[in-house]
Amino acid sequence: MSAFSWTSWFDYTVNGLIIGNIYALLAVGLALIFGVSHLINFAHGSVYTVGAYIGWAAITYGHTPLPLTLLLVVLGTGALGMLIERLGLRPLQGAARIAPLLATIGISFVLDILVQLVFSPDPRSLPTQLPDWRLQVGSGTIGALDLLIAGIGLASAALLFGFLRFTRLGWAVRATAQDRDAAQQMGVNVHAVNQAVFAIASALGGLSGLLVGMYYNNISPAMSFQATLKGVVATVVGGVGNVPGAIVGSLLLGLIESYGVALLGTPYRNLFAFALLLGILVWRPQGLFGRRHALPPEPLTGTFIAPSKPLRLPPALLAGLVAAAALLPLAGPSPYVLQTLTNAWLYATLALSLTLVAGTVGQISLGHAGLLAIGAYASALLVLEAKLPVGTAVLLAGGITALLGTLLVFPAFRLRGHYVSIATLGIGEIVALTILNWESLTRGPIGVSGIPPLALFGQEASSNEAFYEVALVAVVVLALLQWRLLRSHLGRTWRAVREDDVAARAYGVSPDRYKALAFGFGGFAAGVGGALTAHMYSYINHETFSSHISVLALTMVILGGLGNIAGAVVGAVALVSLPELFRVTAEYRMLIYGLALLLLIRYRPQGLLGTV
Amino acid sequence: MTLRRTLIAALGSLMLVASAVAAPATGEPVYFGVSGPLTGQNAQYGAQWKQGFDLALEEINATGGIQGRPLAYVFEDSQSDPRQSVAIAQKFVNDPRILIELGDFSSPASMAASPIYQRAGLTQLGFTNSHPDFTKTGDYIWSPSISQADSQPLLADLAVKTLGFKRVALLYLNTDWGRTSKDVFVKAAQERGAQVVVAEGYQPDEKDFRSTLVRVRDANPDGLVLISYYPDGALIAGQVRSVGLKQPIAAVGSVYSPKFIELGGAAVNGIHTNTSFFPEEPRAEVQNFVKRFRAKYGKEPDAFNAYAYDATVIAAHALRAGGHNRKAVRDALSQLKDVPSVIFGKARFDAQTRRVVGVKSVDLIVKDGKWTVSEGLKAAAAAR
Repeated sequence: MSAFSWTSWFDYTVNGLIIGNIYALLAVGLALIFGVSHLINFAHGSVYTVGAYIGWAAITYGHTPLPLTLLLVVLGTGALGMLIERLGLRPLQGAARIAPLLATIGISFVLDILVQLVFSPDPRSLPTQLPDWRLQVGSGTIGALDLLIAGIGLASAALLFGFLRFTRLGWAVRATAQDRDAAQQMGVNVHAVNQAVFAIASALGGLSGLLVGMYYNNISPAMSFQATLKGVVATVVGGVGNVPGAIVGSLLLGLIESYGVALLGTPYRNLFAFALLLGILVWRPQGLFGRRHALPPEPLTGTFIAPSKPLRLPPALLAGLVAAAALLPLAGPSPYVLQTLTNAWLYATLALSLTLVAGTVGQISLGHAGLLAIGAYASALLVLEAKLPVGTAVLLAGGITALLGTLLVFPAFRLRGHYVSIATLGIGEIVALTILNWESLTRGPIGVSGIPPLALFGQEASSNEAFYEVALVAVVVLALLQWRLLRSHLGRTWRAVREDDVAARAYGVSPDRYKALAFGFGGFAAGVGGALTAHMYSYINHETFSSHISVLALTMVILGGLGNIAGAVVGAVALVSLPELFRVTAEYRMLIYGLALLLLIRYRPQGLLGTV
Repeated sequence: MTLRRTLIAALGSLMLVASAVAAPATGEPVYFGVSGPLTGQNAQYGAQWKQGFDLALEEINATGGIQGRPLAYVFEDSQSDPRQSVAIAQKFVNDPRILIELGDFSSPASMAASPIYQRAGLTQLGFTNSHPDFTKTGDYIWSPSISQADSQPLLADLAVKTLGFKRVALLYLNTDWGRTSKDVFVKAAQERGAQVVVAEGYQPDEKDFRSTLVRVRDANPDGLVLISYYPDGALIAGQVRSVGLKQPIAAVGSVYSPKFIELGGAAVNGIHTNTSFFPEEPRAEVQNFVKRFRAKYGKEPDAFNAYAYDATVIAAHALRAGGHNRKAVRDALSQLKDVPSVIFGKARFDAQTRRVVGVKSVDLIVKDGKWTVSEGLKAAAAAR
């Protein structure tokens, strides 16, 4: 640790503002869309990537000068935004709120893979078209591009302000943001408003992709996820739906990250970012600049989930299916099929956990991979360090995950709707970063290797069939337990909390305790799933359970029908096997997968088996 | 076909001379399996692998293949995701055509699949897996990747002995590879009388390094060492000067790529590296590889192309010696001697560690936007 010096702190501040400046361009677009559609647009990062590639193509093939490049990017991504609104989101009007959220995830999937197919996955350079002069600030320098980015950020915020305040369409946008139905009754064409908002926000997103690409002289199809993540954090910090707030939130995020690096070093950078996110959510969920009453009217979480009549599967059919699954190894299937189903059972434990938390209690978690990771590490370390037998360690890992998971999410219990999703997203990232940095316990990036395979009663059970049966038993036992719980008074109370927690409280129910019970049981299921996975993989590190798994788990649960136990298992089997089935289509398989997902959300937003 | 064969002969290819029947292979192909990323975060590396494989196959199959049968591969996309790599592993072990497996790319994906390959007795040749525990799963797990225990001391030689760094600032990719490399490097640098004054690990998706570099500056180093891949290495280089750092920079060989210069622009001028793969190297294996790569793809090869190419050649040698039997193919690996290799010169496995023995390297510097040999420096340092 170096000595304190004012020069360095000045430099850290300048650096924080520079990176915050970049986040701001992303955050403004996200804030605008949230303000009007009450939607976290997970496709924003993908539009940003598309913008960067449009700019690259224009410069490389058309040798366009900078102003023309900017114009082309704005037009191209603006049109893309309109397309997303028209094809991806407008048809979901009236469906549950969760449907458009999932649709943006699907759209982002498809856009990323398209960019990769067209432009190859290799990173490309995107040379800046600005003169190379630099201004000395402190001991560092800032360049023309830094100033241009700041200029465009401020100018777009000012333009937006003027647009919202002084134009008819702007008024319509604000009216729609305040009360969509009322606006529609007053003759506002809310579809046109939404489309305009998507066009503007996407144009801004594309522009930021181009500028950031030039700034780093590096663009790649993989750049979208981080961009969305940081943009969302900045937006929440500033206050969702608040454009000036988004800018201030971005600068603050940049500063906190920079100071985090200064205090503890580079590996802690994102830890500071997500700690800021959680701090804000706990302390001021409306964000620094949001007014309390500006909180979107979301307490009626019931509307978040599509109400539907669940498909009732006759118990005899379920028992038959379970028996068939249990007897499958006797039929001598290929190990590949057996492995794919084993993976599906393991993911089903995660999906069971999430369908309880997200479906039954209405807490849409986007950080569930963190629970898998806790379970996996707990079991691996209990076996390797504490020399416990594998079976005991797996069960203990479930308990540890239940406890730790509930404790971590506890501060987020008072949040509602989208805020829960964002908070859990942050918690998931924090778990991964803690695993990375807590080297004395977790061995950091080197990871834990040599994790022994499963053992039952002292007998090593490393065959494919043994793994398969153990995973299946885990799913069936957890599913039966969950089914029993849902039929008890507990199930009714959970659903009451989901439908209206004010009413539930009025009836003397303490929502926090019931949420904790749900997270506890869900944590146990996911922890056992993670532990079994660790013993199957034999090696885990902080990358094994990435945040993509959280998104995948949510997709499974929504696909099966939120809150639906059989649905969770069906969703897991479908989403684990589909990419395997599409293998014949080689590079196109993820594209087909993404499109299949979008069609599903479009035509069956309540999931295959319906919500419970 | 004849023209191509004459061309290859004219290029003086010594590759595969042992079995060069000089007749194109025909009949039922002999297969190896590949598990690697074709989509997802690491897709670029899978694409580079493919180019290396295809180039090697062209050459192997033009000169007799595997005992007259062509060599071919089945590439399954894992997205570097352990869930998919274990399924692929089961697919391969159950496919009697597959006699040896190459990959996966990342450690979590490769090492999750290792127990399956080991139990089924199918050799896993993890040619980019430098994790120190990778080959420990069992005797079917082999790695022709460059061992960091071998290559980091060479980087320390470059930084400390040749360039004369006494106070080293280290930036490393905070992955299992970067972290392992860092530990070896720190020790090697100390043994050579230098001190690592600051070591900063960064995440693979990190793009902004200005604050990290202020930390580096405040530690007052006299040289920077980067343990990076080419995209992040270029990003760091692009930001180093903007915080007012003027110290010389040495980077690990994995930054060697034409892309490093494309992405880094003028900022990478003057950066030193020592790499096991350098296209200008006059050795016959290298020149043959480079010329044919340029002819086939119209661009410069990089290290990942070379790793994939070498791994195919090694697999071909093992398949020729082992015949149509997985265990014999595994046994053949430990017997291989003097396999012509772009990276290692002549490759040979250590039967105990199941890794390729030894590593060589060339010292390079970026000069006027071009990679250039800097061997003269070493002599100058010796004279000092």
